[in-house]
Amino acid sequence: MKKTFVSKLVEELGSQKVLYSEPDLICYSYDATPLTSFKPDAIVRAFNEEDILKVLQLAAQEDIPVTTRGSGTGLSGGSVPVKGGIVLVTTAMNKIIEIDADDLSVTVEPGVVTSQLHSAVEAMDLFYPPDPGSMKISTIGGNVAENAGGLRGLKYGITGDYVMSLDTFFIDGSKVRYGTKCVKDVAGYNLTKFMVGTEGTIGIFTRIVLKLVPKPKTKKTFLALYDDVIDAARTVSTIISRKVIPSTLELMDQVTINCVEDYSQIGLPRDVAALLLIEADGHPAVVDEEAVVIEEACKANNIRTLRIAKSAQESEELFTARRMALSALARAKPTTILEDITVPRPAIPEMMALIREVTEKCNIRIGTFGHAGDGNLHPTCLTDERDLNEIHRVHEAYDIIFKKAISLGGTISGEHGTGIAKSKYLPQMVGPKAIELMRKIKACFDPTGRLNPGKIFLTEK
Amino acid sequence: MGKHFDQDKVAAAFSTLDVHDYGDVLQCMRCGLCLSSCPTYRTDGVETQSPRGRVAMIKAVIDGKMKASEEFVEHIYHCLDCRNCQSVCPAGVKAGELALEARYRIEQNRRQPLIKKFLLNYAILDQKRLSRLLFPLKLYEISGLQSLVRKYDILNLFSEDLGFMEALAPKLPSRPLSEQIPEEIPAIGPERGRVGFFLGCAMNLIFAETSRATIENLTLAGYRVIVPKEVQCCGTPNIAEGERKVYREMAENTIRIFADRRVDYVVTDCAACGSELKTYREIFQKSPAFAAKAQEFSSKVRDVSEFLDSVLTPNVRFGPISETVCFHDPCHLRHGQRLIFPQRNLLKRIPQLDYRELPDEGQCCGSAGIYNITHRQRSMKILESKIEAIEKTQAKTVVSSNPGCLMQLNYGSGHWKKGWNVIHISEILNRSLIAGQKLD
Repeated sequence: MKKTFVSKLVEELGSQKVLYSEPDLICYSYDATPLTSFKPDAIVRAFNEEDILKVLQLAAQEDIPVTTRGSGTGLSGGSVPVKGGIVLVTTAMNKIIEIDADDLSVTVEPGVVTSQLHSAVEAMDLFYPPDPGSMKISTIGGNVAENAGGLRGLKYGITGDYVMSLDTFFIDGSKVRYGTKCVKDVAGYNLTKFMVGTEGTIGIFTRIVLKLVPKPKTKKTFLALYDDVIDAARTVSTIISRKVIPSTLELMDQVTINCVEDYSQIGLPRDVAALLLIEADGHPAVVDEEAVVIEEACKANNIRTLRIAKSAQESEELFTARRMALSALARAKPTTILEDITVPRPAIPEMMALIREVTEKCNIRIGTFGHAGDGNLHPTCLTDERDLNEIHRVHEAYDIIFKKAISLGGTISGEHGTGIAKSKYLPQMVGPKAIELMRKIKACFDPTGRLNPGKIFLTEK
Repeated sequence: MGKHFDQDKVAAAFSTLDVHDYGDVLQCMRCGLCLSSCPTYRTDGVETQSPRGRVAMIKAVIDGKMKASEEFVEHIYHCLDCRNCQSVCPAGVKAGELALEARYRIEQNRRQPLIKKFLLNYAILDQKRLSRLLFPLKLYEISGLQSLVRKYDILNLFSEDLGFMEALAPKLPSRPLSEQIPEEIPAIGPERGRVGFFLGCAMNLIFAETSRATIENLTLAGYRVIVPKEVQCCGTPNIAEGERKVYREMAENTIRIFADRRVDYVVTDCAACGSELKTYREIFQKSPAFAAKAQEFSSKVRDVSEFLDSVLTPNVRFGPISETVCFHDPCHLRHGQRLIFPQRNLLKRIPQLDYRELPDEGQCCGSAGIYNITHRQRSMKILESKIEAIEKTQAKTVVSSNPGCLMQLNYGSGHWKKGWNVIHISEILNRSLIAGQKLD
C-alpha cells in the first residue's frame, strides 16, 4: 500500500520533492522535543501551493495522515508524525512577498526564517517583535502554528498578536483567505486568531500577513546578579508593580548560568544564585526614566550587583547567551527535558520555591530559566533517558509542578504548545467540557482526523 | 571510493563507537541551532544534509534502527568537515568530528580502491614524491599547452570535470620551496627565539612564494626559522577519508622531527595543517608512550596569524597599503582552531587598509580538501554564496590563509569574472612589513 502511494507522490510531484529512503525517514522523525520520534512514510518538500494541494488530494484518496513541518525546532512534538503518513515540509516556501512600509505590515510565505524576517524589516526601520529562542532557524509558519513567544513577550506580546491574515489549506484541499491588512476588522468570527496556535491540527498556512511596529529608537540592557533566586523572582514583580514593562525580563538560575558560561565564555559570574537580564527600549527619555525604576526595584530586593551593558555588542552577547540557555543545559547530561509553565507574576517567587523543593524531594537536577517578566518559566530536568528510575522521578516532579502552576492560576504551557507530551495534563487544566468543545471544532475542519493526528487530545487506546 | 562493503560489518563497527569522545550523541537535544550554520543544509535545505540529521543517522545505526546502507555512507561523506556546527552548538556536540569517526569505521570495513591506497598510503608520505606527481602539470604549464587549452576551453569538450580541475590549478612554482631555501634562516635583528616552520604539502609544492613570505615575516619578527625538509603531510587528507594508520605514523614522525630541532614554536601558514597538528595531542591521548610528546608538540603549534599577532610588538612598523580587503576565514582556522581575531588584528594594523567584514559568519567556501572535486555541484553552490558575500563587502582583494580556500576563491573570482586579487595573509603582511622597514 505504502509503496504504491509513495510512487504516486513521486509521479505527481517529481522525485526532487519526495523523500522516502530510510535515512530520510529517520531525519524527519523528530523535532526538538525530547524522547519523541515517529517515522513518517514519506516526506514532501512543498515549493508552492500547487504542491500542497497535490499532497492533500493524494492523501485524501489513500486516507493517509499529513503533518506539516517547518525547521523542526518545536518543543512539544507539533511536527512529529505520530501516526506516520506524510511530513509536509514548507521550508522551501521562503519568500518575503511584500514589506508594506507605509501601512506597517509584511506578507510572507510560511518557510521564511524568523530572524531573516527580523533583519529584512529592521533594515527599513520596522520591527517584528516575536523572538522565540530558536528564531535563527525557526520558520514563521511554525511560529504561527505554535503561537510562539519569546524574550520580548511581556511588552510586545507573542506571535498571535501580530497575525493579521492567513491563507489556510484544510485537509480536504479547500483553501480560505481570512483577515485583512486592516488594523480594525471584525467581519465574522475571528478565524485568523483562532487558527493561530492550533499546532498544525486545523490547517496549513501558505501566506501570512504580519503586523509591524516602528523600530524602538534606543535600548538599555541590564544584568542583575543575585545571591538568592527568590530575590530575583521578587524583583520581577516589583518592577511590574511599579508600572514599568521592560522589553525583556529574563531569569536564569545558577545551573543554567554555569552551562551557558561553559559554552559562551562571556564572563558570567558562576557563583551567583540567579541573574536577571533586563532590557528597556523605546524613546530615549522614557528608557532613562524606566532605567531608574528598574535600578530601584533591583536594590529593593537584595541585589548583589547591577551591570549596564556598555555597547550594543555586549548587549547582543548577553541576549545570545540567554537564547542558548536550553541547548547549553544539554551539555550537562545526556537528556534534557524542559517544561513551559506560566504563572501570574506575583506568584513567581512561590513557584520558584516549589521548584527548588521538588528538586530535592525527587532527587533530580533542574535548571530553571525563562521569561520571568511574563511569568513563563522553563524548569529543565537534566537527566539520562537510559535511567528509567530517574525518568520516573522526573515525571513525578513535573506532575507536582504542573499541579502547582494550575492552582496558582497559571498554565501548563506558556509558549511551547500542548502537542504530544502535555496532552495528558490538558484535561486537568481546561476541564472535560472544553476538551469536548475542542474535539468538536477539530472534527468540523478534519472529520477523519488525518491532519497532524495524535496531538493536543489524548488518544484513546 | 570502493562501493562494495558488508553493511552488517559496518553496523557492528558502529555499535562499539565511543560516543562520549564526541560529546555523547545523546547530548544532541536536536534543537536545530546548527542548521543555519551548516553549508550543506543551506544549499540543500533537507535534514539529511544537516549536522543534527547526521547525528541522528549515526545514532540510528548505533542503535540498530537503521542499516549502514550505501546511502548512509554517502550522507556521511556529504559533510564538508568545516566544523561550523561545532562552533555554534551550545551543547558541545561534535557533529563534525563524529562524521570523521564514522568514515573511519566505514573505511575499515570496505575494500580500498588502488588509487586511494596509492595516494593516502604512499604518495603522501614524501613531498618529493608528491612533487614528481605534479610534474606533468608543470610540463603542461611551461609547454604553453595550458594557455592554449584555456584559450579555447578545450578540456570542457571532453569532460566538464576535467575542465574544472584544470581551471582550479594554480600556476606552479619552478621548484618546491623546500628545494629553494636553507634549513635554517637567521632572524633579522636580535634573535627572540627559534621557530620551526611546518612545510605544508600544498604550500610547499604550489604556494612556495607565499611560504617564502611567511618565513620572511617570521624573521622580521625576530625569530630564527628552522625548516625541516623531511616532514610529511599533516594527515588531513587521511583523516578526511577515514584512514588512520598512515596518519598516525606520519604524525609520530612529525612530532619527533620537531622535538629534535628544539624549537620554541611550530608555525604553519596552512589553516588545515594548523588545525590537524593541534589535534595530535587528542589523537595520542590514550597512547602511554606518546601522549606527553604529542601534548608538548601540539601546545607549540601556532597558526601564522595567531603567532604574529602575539609577537609583533606595537613598535613594529607596518607600511601603508591602500586597498579594500576582506578576510575569508578558512574553516580550519575559525572553527577548527577557534581563531577569529588574530588575522583581523593584523590586517587592521596596516595603515590605509580598508578592512571589510564578510557578512556570513564564517561560512565555508566549498573547497574542503577535495570536496570541490568529489561533490562539485554542491561545492559550486556553496562557493556562489561566498562570492555573493564577498561582493557585498566591495573588497577588491580577498585575503585568506589556506591553500584550498585560495584556489577555490581564485577559481570563483575568475569564473564569475570578479577580477579579485586572492592572496594569503602572509603576502599582504609581507608587503606591509617590508614597506614599514623602509619607514625607519
